[in-house]
Amino acid sequence: MSARRTTVADSRRGTGWSAGLAEHWRGIGLSLVVVVATVWLGATGQLGLYIHPRYFGFTLVMAALGLVFVVASFFFSSSFLASAPAERTSPRRLALSVTGSGMLLLIAAVTVLAIPPATLTSATATQREVNSGGLDTTDAAEQAATLVGNGDYERLSVKEWVSLLAQSDDPALFADKSAKLTGFVLPDTDDPENVFYVARFVVTCCAVDAQPIGVPVYLPGWSNTYTTDAWVEVAGTFTPNPSGLAKAALAVEPATIESVEQPSDPYVY
Amino acid sequence: MRGDRVGARRIPTGLILGVVLVALAFTVRAVSPAFAGWGLPDRTQDTITLALSVIIESAPFVFLGILLSTVVQVWLPHGFLLRFLPRQPLLRRAAISLLGMFFPVCECGNVPLARGFMVGGFTVPESITFLLAAPILNPITIITTHQAFGFGDGILITRIVAGFIIANVIGWLFSRHPNPDSLLTPSFAASCARPEPAGHDHDHDHGPQRGRTPSRIHTSVDLFARETAVIMPALFIGSLVAALTQVFVPRSVLLALGSNPVWSVLAMMALAFIVAVCSNVDAFFVLSFGSTFMPGGIAAFLTFGAMIDVKMLALMRTTFSTRTLVQITALVALMSAAAGLLLNYVG
Repeated sequence: MSARRTTVADSRRGTGWSAGLAEHWRGIGLSLVVVVATVWLGATGQLGLYIHPRYFGFTLVMAALGLVFVVASFFFSSSFLASAPAERTSPRRLALSVTGSGMLLLIAAVTVLAIPPATLTSATATQREVNSGGLDTTDAAEQAATLVGNGDYERLSVKEWVSLLAQSDDPALFADKSAKLTGFVLPDTDDPENVFYVARFVVTCCAVDAQPIGVPVYLPGWSNTYTTDAWVEVAGTFTPNPSGLAKAALAVEPATIESVEQPSDPYVY
Repeated sequence: MRGDRVGARRIPTGLILGVVLVALAFTVRAVSPAFAGWGLPDRTQDTITLALSVIIESAPFVFLGILLSTVVQVWLPHGFLLRFLPRQPLLRRAAISLLGMFFPVCECGNVPLARGFMVGGFTVPESITFLLAAPILNPITIITTHQAFGFGDGILITRIVAGFIIANVIGWLFSRHPNPDSLLTPSFAASCARPEPAGHDHDHDHGPQRGRTPSRIHTSVDLFARETAVIMPALFIGSLVAALTQVFVPRSVLLALGSNPVWSVLAMMALAFIVAVCSNVDAFFVLSFGSTFMPGGIAAFLTFGAMIDVKMLALMRTTFSTRTLVQITALVALMSAAAGLLLNYVG
C-alpha cells in the first residue's frame, strides 16, 4: 500500500514537472524565435518589410536585451528544474499543455524562422481602398511642389504624384508632365481590363496599417503582358482617363513599361 | 538542463545549450530563404506578413513592459510606488490612472506591468484602472493623436477625457466588489499570494538552493521566463486573429456604415476590436478612415480600441477571469459608445 502511494506521488511529481517545464520553455522559446528573427531582419536590412524605420533602433535594442534574457534563462535553467514540481497536474491537462506549447512553438518557429520574409501583395491592397488614406499629405505635397517648381517631374515618386492628384485633377495642370513611376501592378477595381495602378503601400507604423496608394495607368489588355503584383517602372504622360468605368479622372498613358526587381524597401513612409 | 547536482558543471551546460539553440535558430533563418518552393498563396503569405508585423512591432514593447515590471517587483524597495500615492481611494485611483505618463509602454506592455503592480501591492480595481487608463493617458499616445488630428473635431479631447472617466468609473465599480481576488484567474491569484519572489526577505528557504536566496538577477531572469510564458502565446494568437480578419473580412462591409452617426460609432468600435493596433500609433491607422467616418466614430475607435481588442483580451485573459473580462468589455464598450455618440450629436 505504501509502495503504491509512493508511485502515485512520484508520477504526480513527474507530470507536474513536465507541465511546468512546457510552460517555462514556451515563453523562452517564443521569445527566442521573435528575437532571432528581429535581429536577423535588422542585420540583413529587411526589418522595413514589417515595421516603420523610426522603430528600428528601439526594436533592435529591445531584441538584443531579449536575447540576453533568453540566454540567461538557459544559464539559470537548472535551478528552475529543481524547484518546478509544485503543482499537481492531471495527465490530461499535462498532455494538453505539452502538446499545445509544442505545437505553438513549432508553428511559430516555422512561420517566423523558416518562411522567407515577404512584402504585402495585392491580396491585401484589394481589401483596402486605393488612395483612401495613409498619406501625410502636407509634407508630400510640399516636397512635390518643390520638385514641380524645378520642372523635375520625373523625380516625383508615386506618393508625391498621388498627393498632387489628390489636390487637383485638372487636366490642364498635368498636361505635358511626364512621370516615371516604380511600383507593383494592382488592377483597378472598376475597370480591371483597361486600368491598373502602379501601386505602393504607405506604412505609418507597421505593415498592419499599410494603405495602398497608386497612380492609374490606362493600357487596354495590360494583363496579357504584365501580371498582378509584378514590379514595373512606367514612364508616360497624364491624360484624361479614357476608361469610362474607372473612378480616377486622370491616368498615365504609358510610353514605356519595364519589369524591374522589387526594391529593397518596397513600402513608402 | 541536467539539474544542479554540481554547481560548477551546471553553468556551462545551460549556457552552452542556450547559445547553441540561438545559433541554430540564426542558421535556420539564414539558410531557409534559399529553399525555393514555399510558393504560398497570396492570402496566406499576407496573413503571415501582417501577423508577423504586429508581433515584431509589439514584442519590444512587451519586453519593455516586463523589464519595467521587473524593476518594480525586484529592484525597487517593496511598496515603493505605493508610498507616493494618496490614501483616499478615489484620489488614489485618479493618481494611478496618470501613472501611464511615467510608463509610456503601449497596452501590450501594460499587462505585464499591471501584473507586476498587483504582485507589488496594488489592489485588483487599482490595477484595472491602471490597465484601462495608461494606454490613453500616456505621452506617446497623446502626441501621436495630436499629430494625426490636432485639436480639430474634439477627437483628442474626447479621447483623453473619456479614457480618464472610463478607467476611474470601472475602477470604482470593481472596488465595490466583495471579493476582488475572485476577479483574477486562479493561477495568477495564487502567484500574487505567493511570498515575494524578490530578494527582499532573506529568510525563506528555496529547498534546492539549500538556503541560498537567489540573486536579484536570477529572480529577474525567472520573472522574464514566467511572464513571457503567459504573454508571448497570447501575443502570437492575438496577432494571428487580427491578421486573419484583416485578410478575410471585407472592409467594404465596415466602410458602408461610416456615415451614420450611430453605425459609425459601432462600426469603428468593431474595427478597433478586430485590428488591435497599439494605442501608441492607432491614431495614424485610423487617420485613413477620417474622411469616411464621423468624428464620434473615430473617437470611439481611439477610446475603445486602446482599452479593449482581440489581442488585449488574449493578454488580459492571462490575469483576469473570463467573467471579469466580459464585464470590463461591456462597460468600456458602453461608455466609449456614449462618448462617441455625444461627440456626433452634440460636438
